[in-house]
Amino acid sequence: MNPSPFTYHRAGSVGEAIDLLREHEDAGVKLIAGGHSLLPVMKLRLAEPAHLIDIGGIAGLAGISAGTDGLTIGALTTHRALETDPAVARHAPLLAEMAAKVGDRQVRARGTIGGTVAHADPTADYPAGLLALGAEMVVQGPDGERTIPVAEFFVGFLTTALSPDEVVTAVRVPALPSLTGTSYQKLANQASGYAVVGVAAVVTLDAAGACADIRIGVTGAGDHATRAAAAEDALRGQSLTDEVIKAATDRADEGIDLLDDIHASADYRRRMVRGLARRAVLAAVERAGAK
Amino acid sequence: MSAPVAIGTRTKRLDAPQKLNGQERFTADLKLPGLLHARVVGSAYAHAMVKGVIKDAALAIPGVVAVLTAADLPIAPKADGTPGENPLVEDEAVFSGQPIALVLATSDAAAEDGVGAVEVDYDPLPALMRMSEAMAEGAPMVRLKTSEVSDEEASMHNADAAQDSGEERETLPPNVSNSIHFSRGDVAAGFAASDAVVELSFTSQEVHQGYLETQVAMATVEPLGDLRVYTSTQAAFYCRTRVAETVGVPLHRVDVVPMPVGGGFGGKFVLIEPLVAAAAVAVGRPVLLQFNRMEDFLAANPAPGCEITLKVGATKDGTITALESRMTFESGALGGSPLQIAAILMGGYYRFPNLEIRGYEVLTNRSKMGAYRAPGAQQGTLAIESVIDELARELGMDPMAFRLQNCVVEGDARPNGNAWPRIGLRQTLEALEAHPAWQGREEARAKGRGVGIAVGGWPGGVEPATAVCRLDADGKMTVVLGSVDLNGTNTTFSQIAAETFGLGAEDITVKTASTDSAPYAGGTGGSKVTYTVGPAVQKAAEDARQQILSIAAEHLEAAAEDLEIIDGAIRVKGVPGVSVSLREIASMSMTVGSRFEPVYGKGSSAITESAPGFAVHLAEVEVDELTGETKVVRYVAAQDVGYAINPASVEGQIHGGVAQGIGWALYEGMHYDDSGQLLTATLMDYALPKAEYVPPIETILVHVPSEHGPYGAKGVGEPPSIPGAAAVANAIRDLTGLRMTDIPIRPERLAAALDAAETARTASAAD
Amino acid sequence: MTVDVPVNGTSRREEIEPRMLLVHFLREQIGLTGTHIGCQTGQCGACTVLIDGEAVKSCMVLAAQAEGHEVTTIEGLAPAGTLHPVQQAFWEEHGAQCGYCTPAMVLSTVALLADDPDPDEHAIRHALDGNICRCTGYHNIVLSVRAAAQKVAAGAVPEPFLQR
Repeated sequence: MNPSPFTYHRAGSVGEAIDLLREHEDAGVKLIAGGHSLLPVMKLRLAEPAHLIDIGGIAGLAGISAGTDGLTIGALTTHRALETDPAVARHAPLLAEMAAKVGDRQVRARGTIGGTVAHADPTADYPAGLLALGAEMVVQGPDGERTIPVAEFFVGFLTTALSPDEVVTAVRVPALPSLTGTSYQKLANQASGYAVVGVAAVVTLDAAGACADIRIGVTGAGDHATRAAAAEDALRGQSLTDEVIKAATDRADEGIDLLDDIHASADYRRRMVRGLARRAVLAAVERAGAK
Repeated sequence: MSAPVAIGTRTKRLDAPQKLNGQERFTADLKLPGLLHARVVGSAYAHAMVKGVIKDAALAIPGVVAVLTAADLPIAPKADGTPGENPLVEDEAVFSGQPIALVLATSDAAAEDGVGAVEVDYDPLPALMRMSEAMAEGAPMVRLKTSEVSDEEASMHNADAAQDSGEERETLPPNVSNSIHFSRGDVAAGFAASDAVVELSFTSQEVHQGYLETQVAMATVEPLGDLRVYTSTQAAFYCRTRVAETVGVPLHRVDVVPMPVGGGFGGKFVLIEPLVAAAAVAVGRPVLLQFNRMEDFLAANPAPGCEITLKVGATKDGTITALESRMTFESGALGGSPLQIAAILMGGYYRFPNLEIRGYEVLTNRSKMGAYRAPGAQQGTLAIESVIDELARELGMDPMAFRLQNCVVEGDARPNGNAWPRIGLRQTLEALEAHPAWQGREEARAKGRGVGIAVGGWPGGVEPATAVCRLDADGKMTVVLGSVDLNGTNTTFSQIAAETFGLGAEDITVKTASTDSAPYAGGTGGSKVTYTVGPAVQKAAEDARQQILSIAAEHLEAAAEDLEIIDGAIRVKGVPGVSVSLREIASMSMTVGSRFEPVYGKGSSAITESAPGFAVHLAEVEVDELTGETKVVRYVAAQDVGYAINPASVEGQIHGGVAQGIGWALYEGMHYDDSGQLLTATLMDYALPKAEYVPPIETILVHVPSEHGPYGAKGVGEPPSIPGAAAVANAIRDLTGLRMTDIPIRPERLAAALDAAETARTASAAD
Repeated sequence: MTVDVPVNGTSRREEIEPRMLLVHFLREQIGLTGTHIGCQTGQCGACTVLIDGEAVKSCMVLAAQAEGHEVTTIEGLAPAGTLHPVQQAFWEEHGAQCGYCTPAMVLSTVALLADDPDPDEHAIRHALDGNICRCTGYHNIVLSVRAAAQKVAAGAVPEPFLQR
């Protein structure tokens, strides 16, 4: 299997990449970073861009920096880096937990967070956690930089709020308040390793141990990752008994138009969203309390 | 016999270094001047008439040299004058992905571009994907044109397939290509006399061999006109015959070079070689075709799916009284399936005084079905070993004790009436019974695990073989043979020959030669290479030894029987200092004017009685109650191997077979939609077991020597892949109380069953 | 286009089609066929090589993307006629059967041991999740990796073997 022929461009800067995007938009153009989302579909000839812009060599797009307000993760940061970075482990262990569950070791060495979010595969892991963390995407376009809240970023099947001439340059993850715990629970496809369903939960407790705030992100269940708003609402402000959590997470699939395919029926996905949400919340609560 | 020096030792694979350092050459690694890369234009429909192929756009692509259709291939008529079998679709495509045309180009990428540009004009026909539909009264035909179905290849895997099932002709439903019927005693009376009866229905999905190296062959017409085929085949001589017949070249003008096989597992006897050879002849240039993974899923020869209903009865004291079964096996669009062996094994592990098995091979619009390591055995074994387990529970008996009470021993009859020869099923059951994993099963259960056991047996294969053993100028021995080394048999043969000469295995080179010069051997499959080629090697080495001793006797002026070979030299027993080295013998016998004949030992074997091998496995599992994921956490595999010439190699076979069994049980299955499109055509959708899916595997080697195998060895390849599905299903039953009868037992399937059971429990609690 | 990829310590400057995958660059362009192709979609890992010391799947990387990055293939792991300690361990522990996945398994092991010199059973299986083997059931591969870890820890160096 080989990709269809294309013209290869190596961008030296984000600005150059944007110019190339604009220049070749009509002919069909794609950005490539690690290539682990794009090359498989190009080899299957499901994508046949006439131009490929390699942004893998752009200086300054990889790397993790920790500030008081959170982490800034360069778009070219690999899954492997997220999995093993000490700052991530300290400030956003959820990211490390997710990264460790992406693909396999070779894939993690090459795949990037920017590529993953821009590709917006409905079964990718990160979207669930980024939704739960309240992350924002830093993107650059012809008119400069803007940020897109994650809740507005994933809009449909392989579709994001990015304009065709915009490049994701970083992902910002806010610092977590104290008494916060996180968890990512995943049912992996046995063949591909992608999420059949993945649920991330970020739970902040109040001094009394009740739920001060909660965000639950769900991936794999519908055509794009979403928050489980009904379940969150049923938990916010509540005392987190097993019964309360069970009743709330049984609403985790509300509003999701569940996928039904050879990997899982809609009914199975429903039960997995609920069950994994429950596990994620329970684990997050336990971790929040342990701090 | 003195203590063995080479056999019975854990010998490192002699060919491992080149596999480890990247110097091994697989077929696709070869380069020839003018080589063309081929890619397949496969049928877009599972059933259609092909009205035309438009090549122009493809031929305009840079690098594309030719687009070949059926009419472009030089296909010879059969011996009876009827048209020969064309490897490309002539007019009717009968499965999705069936090769219609071949694009030849100077690079693989260009050939692929060409495939995208070939236009095929179809007239779609109804596709039949389910056996029930295909067999229904008034069903349309899976293929409008029919041809003979051959069982030739099946007989290469097991001795039983070569025999007629002695079945009376009945009126068969539509699209049934073959049927079997085995009958013994009075089944109705048997069930009437029983105290407990278990009847269950099972389905197995189509499973792919999953070799990492996809089907690959390269053919070239040599300057002097001979056709040479380099190929990843398990059966060079069979491949040569098929190629010669297809392209109408005399057999002696075809040389098949068997290349290292990157996994075969039964799926690489012959498949694309006639096509590639015909293409090379058509264009007069070397042609290489390596299926990509998608082509291999679509158009190779996976193991068939099947449906089995099985009923077994027994009396309170644990005596089995009767077995009744109906089996249907997918035979794809081209016919052929391992139905018969499945039936013989299903009704062959235990004593069934009354037995009735009816089976049907059903055509559907799927690819050709082929052999996958112990073809038919997994499906039949899932049924019998699940039902036996359930029956033991019904009777309140220990499943091990129930099996021991009823298992077959030498002399007991198989469903086809043939008696089992010397077998080690009972001994293998006893070996597992004594293992801590079985003895400690209550501790495992206390940890939230289920424990299951299952039996698997394989009749073994037989086929005549010859080997030669010659002394080379450097004083070393070279064994030349025609059997393909899939997983270490040539190292085993080095050990056998070395034993004869009192040398180490590393002193013997074993070479698999091409069909031009190799002595005959059958295909590597059916657990028969060590068993049948081994004795030929042993005899060839012994013959060479006698020739060496005879030269040495004359040279040393001693009687041959007073000589011994020690450390590469021939000595007179008890007379230190009087000796001649092998190198000197070589020199003496390969010199101008020498009076000694070159040392060239020959050995042949034509064993007609196979040596069946039995395995008994134990699986310990955990189940995630939410997701339905099953994890095999412990595995013990006991197997009667007769005698392990290279225990490390034998264990390696067992390890691999176990992982494949776990694949059958939990992960693998090819899934088509109703229109006949394959939905699991890549490894993104078809799950092969990964390192994390397989636990450490404990092995127990049982030694019940075979009568004819070298040093008592038996074939060991097939048995370890057989019991896995049933052992895992029985372990899940042990843990959850649920009897899963459809494999693979995917998480969703088990989760749904767990959910239904929970709902039923809640409902009954509410009553 | 022209690319310059350092492979096994030697700069390889080649004229290629932009779409050429690294695996084809290695196998067809410069004749290093020890890197194999098994699935083409990134699951089997038979095409694993090291890029800047990390194990990656060369069928999921364009040759152009590798420009300027150090590529190590199985041919470059040890001097000709010798076996690297990891290769030695796979030989001794019977970790190779048909040999098709083997070079990739060896390279993944090298990458694993570089950052976890003493991996346990679980860590080994997790690290090899991207390398499918159909022959060994992984049992002897796990033993091979353990043995390799011991050899590497003991400072083993490549050893010559008898060429056959």
